[in-house]
Amino acid sequence: MTGLIWVVEAILLGCLLVNRFAGLLVVRPAWARWSLICGAGAAVGIGLTSVLFFFCGSLLGMRAAALGIEVAVLAWAGYEVFRRRAPAPQPAGEKRAPLLISIAAISLLLALAMATAAIATSWDANPQGNWDAWAIWNLRARFLASGGALAQRAWSSKLDASAHAEYPLLLSSFVARSWAFSDSFSTAVPEATSYAFFLALIALVAGGMAALRGPMLGLLAALVLASTPALLHQVPILAGIFAGCAAWTKDEGVLFLAVLLTVTAALKRRAALATLAGAAPAAALVVIFKTWLARGNAGLLSTSLPGAGKRLADVGRYGITIAAFDREFAGLGVGWYHPILPLIALAVVLRFDRERRRDAAYCGALVGFLLLGYFGVYILTNNDLTWLLQTSLNRVLVQVWPVLVLAGFVGLRVPQAAVIVKPVPPAAKARRKTRRLQMF
Amino acid sequence: MIAGVVIAILLCLWGSFASYGSESDVQQQYRDPYMVSAQFTRLGGVLSAIPEGAGIGYITDAPPGSGLEAGMFLSAQYVLAPRLLKRGAVAEWVLGNFSHPADFAAVGRSQGLLLQQDFGEGVVLFRKAQ
Repeated sequence: MTGLIWVVEAILLGCLLVNRFAGLLVVRPAWARWSLICGAGAAVGIGLTSVLFFFCGSLLGMRAAALGIEVAVLAWAGYEVFRRRAPAPQPAGEKRAPLLISIAAISLLLALAMATAAIATSWDANPQGNWDAWAIWNLRARFLASGGALAQRAWSSKLDASAHAEYPLLLSSFVARSWAFSDSFSTAVPEATSYAFFLALIALVAGGMAALRGPMLGLLAALVLASTPALLHQVPILAGIFAGCAAWTKDEGVLFLAVLLTVTAALKRRAALATLAGAAPAAALVVIFKTWLARGNAGLLSTSLPGAGKRLADVGRYGITIAAFDREFAGLGVGWYHPILPLIALAVVLRFDRERRRDAAYCGALVGFLLLGYFGVYILTNNDLTWLLQTSLNRVLVQVWPVLVLAGFVGLRVPQAAVIVKPVPPAAKARRKTRRLQMF
Repeated sequence: MIAGVVIAILLCLWGSFASYGSESDVQQQYRDPYMVSAQFTRLGGVLSAIPEGAGIGYITDAPPGSGLEAGMFLSAQYVLAPRLLKRGAVAEWVLGNFSHPADFAAVGRSQGLLLQQDFGEGVVLFRKAQ
């Protein structure tokens, strides 16, 4: 269980860094600010400590240095946040939330409790996780946690092909770090890590959408489960960090990074450079890993190049893939329920806001190009198409689903009954302007 | 408009409850289907017999290319890591991971291996004959 301490320490480190540097202190309401800080902090903390452990511990063999740097940065960030803490807010200025927002908030908490209970059943039934968890991610984490020359086995070409030595290592490296620092292989570490990612996603969606479009849509979007690239284009360097970490997490993340950078360059030009800067460190690590460390391991695309032209011209493959996309999209639901239903209900009653067309187009372009990219990979692959679709498409759609929901929510009109008009003091406006300038 | 928002909230709650029910059923139905947790006990003897840095050969009676073979091999690799498993009698030490009882010594001899230790439950350790 001591491994959990190191998971919490990484998240705390990320929260302190985001609190200090991401310029989120101006976000209102306060719950949205803390939701964003905790959600982004969890992702940043897990990403940074994973990269640090991989670089210092696995590549340089200086595990103690990784630990030392982490603790030093934690202490420094903690001191910085304490030193710059804001004065206590005036309670008289707070307004009570409308009833509908309270209902949505309680419903979100209830939904979170149900989701946690559902996740707990999997912890109980499958403590080592599902196939990919023990056959790929946690297996490679065990190599990395063993240290010395044994860590290199995580990306060795001698590793069985089913363990995918060519896959990026963010998750494995983070789990290995927590195992190594606690000197145990507790299953609580990967369980807590996946749960932290889940909560971070909800927190980011709720806080991000609340800051962007108001608390009601924030709570509703979190209820439907969403991710938040559209929010993050407000803080582009953070969006870049996340996208870079996505590329260091899975091969699908490399596609996500490429799509995010392309779409941002096309539709949000002013944010493109900062996004690129944020993504650069983790993206550089991916390039080094793929072209140098794991170069002996064939990736999905490189093995699919021979005969690619023939597969591209095979009309039957398109039919099979489209049918599978249809089937798996329908399979996102349970029984009569499909998660698109609440979104449709809201689109009917709230309708879309014309002024938000650009944001919706941005998210929609991300979804469209991601799906197009995945579709192309399925057409090109030399693996058995039916098997690959059966074993991976559901996961791929789940990864895209939050962005799709976000694309819908970002374009919705704000329910008037839930609007809270809150005047912003001039001093706060000035601070906000200064912070935005600092971000660039 | 308010009614529509309430309907959306109720739909989400319905989805949450339905997801919980479905997930509980699935997890009850597929409790550790590859028995990965059990492998820590089953392969415990091998863990102490082979040093961490070793590469180990691997033979089995599971049909090659089958789901059973892949599950047995990868769960053994997971439990024995950082020891590296390689299919076939390709190292000095070879793990025998069998799903059915058999004359393991004879199986080993047929591949030029000497039985070193039988840990029970189909787990045996071979060594290459000199």
